[in-house]
Amino acid sequence: MAAASPDSDCGPAESSEANSKWLDAHYDPMANIHTFSSCLALADLHGDGEYKLVVGDLGPREQQPRLKVLKGPMVLTESPLPALPAAAVTFLMGQHEPRTPALALASGPCVYVYKNLRPYFKFSLPPLPANPLEQDLWNQSKEDRIDPPTLKEMLEGIREKAEVPLSVQSLRFLQLEPSEMEAFVSQHKSKVIKRQTVITTMATLKKNLADEGAVSCLVLGTESKEILVLDPEAFTVLTKMNLPSIPAFLDITGQFDVEFLLAAACRDGNIYVLSKDSKRPKYCIELSAQPVGLVRVHKILVVGSTQDSLHGFTHKGKKLWTVPMPAAILTMNLLEQRSRGLQAVMVGLSNGEVRVYRDKALLNIIRAPDAVTSLCFGRYGREDNTLVMTTKGGGLLIKILKRTAVFVEAGGDAGPPPAQSLKLSVPRKTRLYVDQTLRERESATAMHRTFQTDLYLLRLRTARAYVQALESSLSPVSATAREPLKLHAVVQGLGPTFKLTLHLQNTSAARPIVGLLVCFVYSEALYALPRAFFKLPLLVPGLLYPVETLVEGLSDKGVSDIIKVLVLREGQGAPLLSAHINMPVSEGLAST
Amino acid sequence: MGLLDKLSCLLGLKKKEVHVLCLGLDNSGKTTIINKLKPANAQSQDIVPTIGFNIEKFRSSSLSFTVFDMSGQGRYRNLWEHYYKEGQAIIFVIDSSDRLRMVVAKEELETLLNHPDIKHRRIPILFFANKMDLRDAVTSVKVSQLLCLENIKDKPWHICASDAIKGEGLQEGVDWLQDQIQAVKT
Ligand SMILES: Nc1nc2c(ncn2[C@@H]2O[C@H](COP(=O)(O)OP(=O)(O)OP(=O)(O)O)[C@@H](O)[C@H]2O)c(=O)[nH]1
Ligand SMILES: [Mg+2]
Repeated sequence: MAAASPDSDCGPAESSEANSKWLDAHYDPMANIHTFSSCLALADLHGDGEYKLVVGDLGPREQQPRLKVLKGPMVLTESPLPALPAAAVTFLMGQHEPRTPALALASGPCVYVYKNLRPYFKFSLPPLPANPLEQDLWNQSKEDRIDPPTLKEMLEGIREKAEVPLSVQSLRFLQLEPSEMEAFVSQHKSKVIKRQTVITTMATLKKNLADEGAVSCLVLGTESKEILVLDPEAFTVLTKMNLPSIPAFLDITGQFDVEFLLAAACRDGNIYVLSKDSKRPKYCIELSAQPVGLVRVHKILVVGSTQDSLHGFTHKGKKLWTVPMPAAILTMNLLEQRSRGLQAVMVGLSNGEVRVYRDKALLNIIRAPDAVTSLCFGRYGREDNTLVMTTKGGGLLIKILKRTAVFVEAGGDAGPPPAQSLKLSVPRKTRLYVDQTLRERESATAMHRTFQTDLYLLRLRTARAYVQALESSLSPVSATAREPLKLHAVVQGLGPTFKLTLHLQNTSAARPIVGLLVCFVYSEALYALPRAFFKLPLLVPGLLYPVETLVEGLSDKGVSDIIKVLVLREGQGAPLLSAHINMPVSEGLAST
Repeated sequence: MGLLDKLSCLLGLKKKEVHVLCLGLDNSGKTTIINKLKPANAQSQDIVPTIGFNIEKFRSSSLSFTVFDMSGQGRYRNLWEHYYKEGQAIIFVIDSSDRLRMVVAKEELETLLNHPDIKHRRIPILFFANKMDLRDAVTSVKVSQLLCLENIKDKPWHICASDAIKGEGLQEGVDWLQDQIQAVKT
């Protein structure tokens, strides 16, 4: 959109330099932070009132993943991670003072919990049962009953067919060159096969109090289609729920001990909604595309999809609205301005825009210098309304919402269209209407049958008429393979003299047609034509040949008739095609 | 002013009263600075974030200051403008170590300078680039650059680096303020 119209530039949603709602607090294009919204968290980690930014950094090209903690624009601490981070959250573990939040980082099959930025606990997902066949094969190779090539062959067989996937050990073995196999087998053959799943997403759920600083449980989504809820202090699994697919995004409200609603956007393009005590999904929302983000705004679930649009759903799956986006959605997050009670959703797009929507109304557009891949809004440092963004190129942007900024909806989009509130005068149900409806309900089958019979008859008649038309070449299109021809006629003039123009076209691909004749059949009492029968020139394929002739109307009684045009082949009686021309009434005569 | 008054002023018995507004973002150190300017026996030990505002008094060699120590929290900042009319001088405190909120301080300063009760008055403004003892702190020169202080052409202003906890740099600022106020009065 290089040429934006001037009025769209100063619309309320637009952020121009002078009257922007945002203050540019910091921009570092070389910050070297590569992450997604799920790996960003803001919290008062030291309990000193100065909120820090936690970043699970994937590293450039997914190398050297790191945990970074930022204070203002600067990195405070940095430590390497064993695997790529999946999510970062902060939560309160217990009621004891000081009530500083702990930090949890999900990476691979583990959750690393930090308190005061020091490692505190490591939770690992329970291992899954391995395929007994696979274990058996490794046992056999331990006793040297099968050699590595046979082992490989049989493991491949299992990989193709079995329900239970192979363990990491077997998969790594299958990747090896034949020369490396022997060593690998002797090194690993005595190990017990373990199958490990990984964490795909993580969220928090209040334990038993609804207030801001309440103790929260960690909720994990795994690659093995499970949801686990962990105890906030002991990190034991409190409950386990199963999903039909792998969760990618989670959103939870409520309290674990009381009642909660959990929405999981999954990789099969569905959102499953579960509640306390439901081991299986209660509702299923089907998207027609993959979800790219899930945010709850008040009671509405807002989902971004790969079809470049934003959808609003109730938790029971009723679709409320859809808004198309001008570019692909990269990331989403919640914007909550507590002082004004505003909740909105922020959407980072591939064209570098960050859009803010309340329901389907666009509130604000921020143009970032690069595509924004992660977004986070909240208290940072000592400022309540801070927006942290990181870009595709690894840049870090921090913007602060002005104290006086108020989000207003762009004029046109506000509320439902006026027509919606107009009351329609719907007529009352009459006796006749009710009788008719009853009759339709009672004898639906009979009515359907009658209708079908008539329909078949109609089709039969149509087919008959068509065959007849073809047989007598009555149609203006010739269907014979040798002379594919099209004809249409135009009558011009007011009378008594008309001009009749025939447009003839040879519709064959390459073959010219020669030796055609045109013949007009008409009532000689009414019309006179200079030539009623003549030869056509050679017709080149594709060209439109206009053939003009004058028609003199002889009657002065204001009557008109049909003139038939026949196209014939030399030496053949049946016409190739024919057309009936309805001649207009001569106006010239009527006026005299 | 009567001859007796003038005499008592010179002798330091009765001092001229001035009203000063102390403004700046929350946590910048306004209350700590005012507290340090009070006589040692009147200083309070622990300082908590101000709610609304406090009225404090302290004296310099020839003036008696009444200070409106305003709260800097976002939700109280709209109270500031109600006191602009009464203020004869402004102390604006900046946390030199809070890089991120320098833009917010700048924005609030601009709003202050454009307010009708301030805009057309030659009111002296004293800036404290406070917390200079902290490692993250930027210099007072950098602070005046970030706040674009050189754009203030129609009001006398001065910036001092300060450490309110040790009391460093405060006296220099108060001396400047006293000179400015006396220059206007006499
Ligand atoms: N290191 C250091 N800390 C300071 C300095 N001045 C103030 N502080 C600390 O900063 C914190 C905030 O100081 P306050 O005086 O309450 O700040 P304020 O501007 O009055 O804040 P509000 O009343 O909320 O507007 C306190 O913990 C002070 O101890 C300073 O020069 N150096
Ligand atoms: Mg204070």
